[in-house]
Amino acid sequence: MPFRTRRRGQIAPPTGRLVEYADGDQASAFAQMLGGLIEANVRSRPERRRDFDTLKARVGIAVTDIDESVTLDFREGLLVVSNGLKRDRRITIRTDADTVMMLSNLAIGPFGMPVYIDGVGRGIVRKLVTGGLKIDGMLTNIQTLNQVTRIFSVR
Amino acid sequence: MAKIKAFSPEFALAFKDEINRSAAYKQAGKGWKWTVGLIVEAEPDKNFPDAKGVYMDLYDGEARDIRVVSDSEAAKCDFVITAPYSRWKQVMQRELDATKGMMQGKLKLKGDLPTIVRYTRASQEMTECTTRLDVAFPDEA
Repeated sequence: MPFRTRRRGQIAPPTGRLVEYADGDQASAFAQMLGGLIEANVRSRPERRRDFDTLKARVGIAVTDIDESVTLDFREGLLVVSNGLKRDRRITIRTDADTVMMLSNLAIGPFGMPVYIDGVGRGIVRKLVTGGLKIDGMLTNIQTLNQVTRIFSVR
Repeated sequence: MAKIKAFSPEFALAFKDEINRSAAYKQAGKGWKWTVGLIVEAEPDKNFPDAKGVYMDLYDGEARDIRVVSDSEAAKCDFVITAPYSRWKQVMQRELDATKGMMQGKLKLKGDLPTIVRYTRASQEMTECTTRLDVAFPDEA
């Protein structure tokens, strides 16, 4: 199976496969939705691909109003999506379904920075301030959070 | 006024008119240029014996055509949302939010995910349009 060698010496997964589901056929609909969204996003936008290929972090997303959660394990060019929240997460996002949709609609501005001054951005800030959106690990992982946001954003 | 029979040609026409009356949809649907198929799966025990499809030609904030078709015809659309009859009924009665339903696998979506996520507001408003119709459901006859 063809493997490509990475700049820093790691071995990347075979070209073509970007997302795997740890739970296989038992992957939840939410896990498949997020995995599918990220895969389509990364495949169609080269600038997102760069972020995807360099991101190494485990991120949890818990959707509080529908009781669904997933862990996104970014492994520099491969994303492994698991049902539920796994251990050793660098960032955990806890919010409702509408805000998850808002997060994926966050615009990306100059220098790849998320835009918090338009309608969607202000809505997210409001959720953060009022406690409707909680991001554990945000303050110590701003760069990672921005990277995840870019990979996740369809804007 | 008489109720509209769910998933009938009259329903399709009323749905189209309701979408075209919606200023919110006109705004949120700007730029959308794909067809959407809704597949309503049969539930004989709910007096809905045969699957049906709804074909929606939506373009740039306008519903150009909405009609009831076969489920196989609806499956050919660019985006296809599939659910059993009773799930669609829940959506139309505001008991189930369509976006949450998709996240939970209660409604199955086929199509380019980034595009549909970009138009979340439009799809929410489209759902709202169905809730404004006075619909007669076959299992309530």
